[in-house]
Amino acid sequence: MKISSSYLAGILGNALLASLIAAHPQGQSTQASLAKQSSIVFSGTVSQLGAASFAGVPQSTNTVVVHVDSVLKKPPAISLKKGDNVTVELKDPAGFEQGTQATFYTDGWIFGSGVAVKELGHDFNVGGRAPASEAAPSQMEGQISDQDLQNRLNSADFVVIGRVREVRRWNVPKSTTPPRVSEHDPDWHEAVVEVQSVLKGGQVKGNKVVVRFPGRNDVAWVHSPKFEKNQQGIFCLNREQASGISSEKVGGRQVYVYTCLGHGDSLPMSDAPRVRALLKN
Amino acid sequence: MKALAGISMRLLALTLCALIAMTFFLGKHCSPKTRRGLDRLRSATPWTPVYAAPNSVKLVDIIPASLSGESNQDSEPFLAIQTANPQVMVASAFTPNPVSSSGNAPVYVSQDGGNSWVLNAITPVPRMTCDITHAMPTAENHPRGDLHAGTLACAASITLDESESNDVSSSSVMNVQSTRTNVDQPFVRALGFSSADHIYVGLNDFNQPNGRTATVDVSLDGGATYKSFPIEARVTSGQDGPSVRPAVAADNTVYAAFFGWRKFDGKTATSDIVVVRDDAGAAGPNSFQALRDPSDKLPGRIVVKRTPIPWSNSPTLGQERIGSTLSIAVDPNQSSTVYVGWADRGSKGNIYTLHVRRSTDRGLTWSKTDLPHTTISNATNIALAVANNGVAGLLYQQLAAGRWVTHILQSRDGFATVQDLILASVPANTPVEQFLPYLGDYDYLLSVGNEFRGVFSASNSPDLANFPQGVTYQRSANFSTKTLTDGSGNPVAISIDPLYFSVPVVP
Repeated sequence: MKISSSYLAGILGNALLASLIAAHPQGQSTQASLAKQSSIVFSGTVSQLGAASFAGVPQSTNTVVVHVDSVLKKPPAISLKKGDNVTVELKDPAGFEQGTQATFYTDGWIFGSGVAVKELGHDFNVGGRAPASEAAPSQMEGQISDQDLQNRLNSADFVVIGRVREVRRWNVPKSTTPPRVSEHDPDWHEAVVEVQSVLKGGQVKGNKVVVRFPGRNDVAWVHSPKFEKNQQGIFCLNREQASGISSEKVGGRQVYVYTCLGHGDSLPMSDAPRVRALLKN
Repeated sequence: MKALAGISMRLLALTLCALIAMTFFLGKHCSPKTRRGLDRLRSATPWTPVYAAPNSVKLVDIIPASLSGESNQDSEPFLAIQTANPQVMVASAFTPNPVSSSGNAPVYVSQDGGNSWVLNAITPVPRMTCDITHAMPTAENHPRGDLHAGTLACAASITLDESESNDVSSSSVMNVQSTRTNVDQPFVRALGFSSADHIYVGLNDFNQPNGRTATVDVSLDGGATYKSFPIEARVTSGQDGPSVRPAVAADNTVYAAFFGWRKFDGKTATSDIVVVRDDAGAAGPNSFQALRDPSDKLPGRIVVKRTPIPWSNSPTLGQERIGSTLSIAVDPNQSSTVYVGWADRGSKGNIYTLHVRRSTDRGLTWSKTDLPHTTISNATNIALAVANNGVAGLLYQQLAAGRWVTHILQSRDGFATVQDLILASVPANTPVEQFLPYLGDYDYLLSVGNEFRGVFSASNSPDLANFPQGVTYQRSANFSTKTLTDGSGNPVAISIDPLYFSVPVVP
């Protein structure tokens, strides 16, 4: 079995982050929530107050430069490692001084020769206690973050586990808006999905739904899932809003039509435990 | 004496060896920005360069160092320059928010004349735009320049936002001033005014009646209000082509070019190349009707009638799609001189051919044939600009011998004589396309002072042979091993990056 180094690093990062959160029993739920919301989490030492670490970042009384001691979470695209200097825009600079050690829960802000982030929360590292070693990205390339997936699950009308039984092109009926020629033309396709279980939403009559999706590989639809026959997975569905035609007959039965358009709307079965856990929140 | 001669010879030999070693070392290890001899400055085309090569060409891969791990297809770049302080520029591309799928789509900002760029997520669109253009005029009451942008957000439907920022270095999200759906390919130009900027957004507006979709949205109050002007006066096939391009001169003359689609069969649009003009900044009641075609007396001068334009929304020219490349440029100081360029079907083996025509009488008459040196086969992403001294610039990307070759031509005499520089020549088959457009449905060229500045997208393979004028990478790259790394030494896949350039205008 081939396991990539970024995958292993991701597991290590998550483990370190989990152990850090576990070490703060009184604030566990807050820290866990912060860690989930944050795109970048790192531990570091404040080296300058009211400063910025690279040109292009507006400095203020709320910005500090932090020397990175260890990186606990970051997207793979971001270049950030032990020894780098990061500009952090603090919510409140009170309590911070040169030499302050803390774990910063942050969101990305400006990316240039260095990284600038906005603080979502922090933990002071009392007595210099900090995670033991540096971890690499906790999010694999192309993988949707927990926070983004949570948002997506919240906004979905249905979340189902199913298997694609059929894929076909869908031609917009002539009675609706005339087709427009554009580079962003979605080239609508339909997948008939046999529902195996419903993770969110009500019963599905006949255990089949029609899912409309763009077949075009245009930039407008690059993050939309492209379905294939016999594909099995977890699908986040919303009632069809794109074409204005929200139901059609399948096997003699009128069924609702759904769309599956966004990043994270189609997930592999391996994500089932994560989805189930997030749906419990 | 003999001994002395021997020592001298040894010293000479040692010096030569040292020089050779140093040359080798510098070649391997010096900054990626590397100059090549003048023989590398010019293309291999048979055209005769007549001007001296420029003193300094700047070419910068604008992906910042802190995003060294990215491998996105950052195609379809665009550029805005702050006119009063051209050190400040904004560039864009199909670049996603690097940390979140719900965060705002970013732009690139440079405050040092393009030497360095930062990514700032300030557009009103979530994650990534599916079209973005912008302009940054300056005037007395906003000397830092207001950035006016037209963006498309693509979800269940496509939404246009016309928005502004009065400080591109701040992290404030741009203020949306106007929004609507069912439009395509906004293309923003603007003219700075003390009271309020004049903004012109060319777009294909499917809300227009009778399929006359070519439209210019005009704001004369800095974007506070917009008014849509349909500029198609003739019967269409059901719509016009996607590209509608405005060009604005300092004297308030506004031109716009569009593809008047007369017939469309799914593979070919039989199209007029139409130019409209307004002499008062589109402030009057009958905007964009100053030019009428002698054939039917209708507004809009037909530069070329019923030319076949191939339409293919799949990889056709290399890995790129084709169908709607168009550009128009007006002399900033002599608004009677205007250039228009487009592509249509070429002959066999020539999928897509560029053409440039010129008018010197405010669009009333046009050159009957292509200007010399401007019939260019198998090429796309045409972008025209005219410098302060009247020199015309032509940027394009040509598929030649399995490579995407990015040229910039300059001419002071209507392309009778040209200077042709190759900015990049990269393999056309790598990287593999992630989506369309591969390089972009457009790139962009502007003039400022004595420079042509522009942006294009190309493979970011760190190979100096790909960049005859030299290149600077901000991201982590090893030009010796021709590999990208993530800043921690891990390899990163080759992808498409936006590249900024500055080329001195020929005197």
